[in-house]
Amino acid sequence: MAPPKNVAKRMGAQDFFFTYGFLVIMFVVIALYSVTAPHFLSLPNFMAILQTAAPLLIIASGLALVIMTGKIDMSIGSMAFLSCCVCLKLINQMHLPILTSVALMLACGTLLGMVNGCIVVFLRVNPLITTLGTLIAFRGVALQLSNSQTVGLPDSLRAFGNMRIGPVFVTVIIATVVLVIMHLVHTRLSFGRDMTALGNGEEVASRLGVRVRGVTFWAFTLSGFFAALCGLVAMCQVGSLNPGIGNGMEFTAVAAVIIGGISLFGGEGTIIPGVILGACTLAIIENGLNLLSASSYAYPFVRGLVIFLAMYADSLKYRVRSKRRTIDASLESVA
Amino acid sequence: MDPYLRLTDVTKSFPGVQALTGVNVSAYAGEALALMGANGAGKSTLMNILGGVTMADSGDIRIDGKVAHFRDPKEAARHGIAFIHQEMALLPTMTVAENMFITRFPSRGGLIDRASIEVASSKVLQQLGCAIPTRTKVRDLSPGECQIVEIGRALLSKARIIIFDEPTSSLTAREKDQLFRVIESLKKEGKVIIYITHFLDEIFQICDQAVILRNGEVVGGGRLKDLTRSEIVTLMIGAEGTSVTSISRGKVSSDPVLRVSGLARSGVLDDINFTLHSGEILALWGLLGSGRTELARALVGLDPIDSGHIEIKTNGKLHSVSQRQTKQWIGMVTENRREEGLLLPCSVRENLSLANLNALISRVWPFLDRKKETRIGVELVERLNIKIHDSEQAVKTLSGGNQQKVVLGRWIQRSPRIFIMDEPTRGLDVGAKAEIRKIVNELAAGGMAVLLISSEIEDLLELADRYLVLSRGRIVAEKPAGSTRNELIASAADDSLI
Repeated sequence: MAPPKNVAKRMGAQDFFFTYGFLVIMFVVIALYSVTAPHFLSLPNFMAILQTAAPLLIIASGLALVIMTGKIDMSIGSMAFLSCCVCLKLINQMHLPILTSVALMLACGTLLGMVNGCIVVFLRVNPLITTLGTLIAFRGVALQLSNSQTVGLPDSLRAFGNMRIGPVFVTVIIATVVLVIMHLVHTRLSFGRDMTALGNGEEVASRLGVRVRGVTFWAFTLSGFFAALCGLVAMCQVGSLNPGIGNGMEFTAVAAVIIGGISLFGGEGTIIPGVILGACTLAIIENGLNLLSASSYAYPFVRGLVIFLAMYADSLKYRVRSKRRTIDASLESVA
Repeated sequence: MDPYLRLTDVTKSFPGVQALTGVNVSAYAGEALALMGANGAGKSTLMNILGGVTMADSGDIRIDGKVAHFRDPKEAARHGIAFIHQEMALLPTMTVAENMFITRFPSRGGLIDRASIEVASSKVLQQLGCAIPTRTKVRDLSPGECQIVEIGRALLSKARIIIFDEPTSSLTAREKDQLFRVIESLKKEGKVIIYITHFLDEIFQICDQAVILRNGEVVGGGRLKDLTRSEIVTLMIGAEGTSVTSISRGKVSSDPVLRVSGLARSGVLDDINFTLHSGEILALWGLLGSGRTELARALVGLDPIDSGHIEIKTNGKLHSVSQRQTKQWIGMVTENRREEGLLLPCSVRENLSLANLNALISRVWPFLDRKKETRIGVELVERLNIKIHDSEQAVKTLSGGNQQKVVLGRWIQRSPRIFIMDEPTRGLDVGAKAEIRKIVNELAAGGMAVLLISSEIEDLLELADRYLVLSRGRIVAEKPAGSTRNELIASAADDSLI
């Protein structure tokens, strides 16, 4: 009953290519930049790339879990921004200690995630529509709170954003810890396996006894928590609260997730190396453009192009698989 | 010996339907019980009650002498009942071991203990005589292997009663043999097997007892040793419906409506020539892969052709038509009615009118004439005897036979001159098959020309006026009506040795 050896092997190569095809692209980009941009291949620049990637890595790990359940969370950028606004409100107007404010900020993000979860699970609204709605609504509330103004951060937070241990930025260390924890959650907890099961089809999952509603709710909640953490890291790096925080972050994060081989159809992909690969590819591309002093209008275009490529690869993967299955089935019936 | 499982006086009604009336069933440890009945006989309802999906209105379930109540599938599972569904409940992107342990992962230090699930699952697979690597993803398995994984999961949950619902429908002959070996070994271990199928052969091969349901009542049963095939079939479909070719069609006219000459497609079809007459049922006979389906697809323009002519009778004479035009005159019933033929969530009315929307446009404004649509729909439902309580009912809630009738009705509405039917009775129970055959027969009697493809040789033997034997994309022989089963099999096998 086992498939012939050579067939199995070819499938493996194909799977690898479709899952990590962007690894190839990443190396090509690195090679290209190494030649054209003089300071690209240097330790400081490498650290800078990781520094840029840190917020994206954090928010994408949260989003990855939601996508693995076959759903999507488009409100992550707004949740990040709203949490930041709450944090500064607490510090500047309520005069709470910074640590307390930060803790409350993370709690706020978690709460916002729960709001999404409730709407999706209890009101049974389509996740895309739900989070597109909260994307607009959360940002609206945040702009109201901050009066759309740019506010400087307290010195301690600003210093934290660029603090290093040895050559490594603390924010990068935070991102690494998040990645490791989320990888374990995904692969080694029942909760993580339940999420993957959901991505395979809710009906089957519930027939098998997976608590579909609970798992969905907590996936959105986690996504909210990591959005807030991402907001914190991004805000500290920039040194101020400004309306640009989290703006368009959802699309970058979706791109990172898909580039990392996590299928939008759900049920597939990995946090390590998937999300790392996706986020770093995007960070490297932007860093290189920066070093080449490309027009700032080139960024959105290039990013759009990469997102398109990633989506195309995802749909191609899906098509090739179903085609392959038909071929296998006919081979089987001939045999 | 006392039965391990006993259902007593189980009754269940749904709004408007009495699904089960006073059903008594007993099943013994170490034996397989065949549950038989036409579609709509109540098999699924009965098994859903046993599986905890629905609750009976009255009657009780005793397992090992103790009364058991299930409110949901999980409770049924706790009582040792495992249900192997026709549509498998598997997670394709996850590994074999994960699929078997999905809701009860053992953990060590808070994390899933992967080593132990792999050991446990491979042990169970070995016990089932199967060496599937436990780290393979389920999407890379064959249908047979998938089924083994499901059975393995049932065993891991310590199931004592295992229900199989049409387990062989997607298996190859080899996989089927293996499944039967597994079922035999489960019987030896003292499990109770409940086996639901349309295939009589399988029941005699694997089961010890049978219970036959009709219209929600037990109409017969007993030890299979004491039953014959024809007894079972008669019990299943009742007295009426046994005679299939009751409508005698007159002699087939010599009035050609379709002529195909020199049709070819490289590697698939080679020099196909034939003529189809009005009122004739022409069977395309051949093994799987002989080009039967490909020929049908080429005729309606679904696949391209390299050369050849298609002529169709219009205005009293045969005219050459292009592949793309043939759809105007040819109605096509595809072999995958669920995937290609029906809009499952939509209503019976919408499905019936789908191929004929242009004719239903109101004369006054450019919108659909809803009244006309409903009227035609209701007429077809009556004519084809489609069993529904309301033409707004979603098609996905119908049984296979009734779904197939909807597909047929859709094309009948357009009154095509030629009907191509690819496996019209696939997956249907005996009663529904007979009804579909009857409809085909009536259509031909009404002057429609039918090109029939079927793997069910009974369909052909009862319906065909003429056979074209295909092999490797060529017509290798033509056989008259009245050819026997053996003649047909021989003619198809003859040429497949090259």
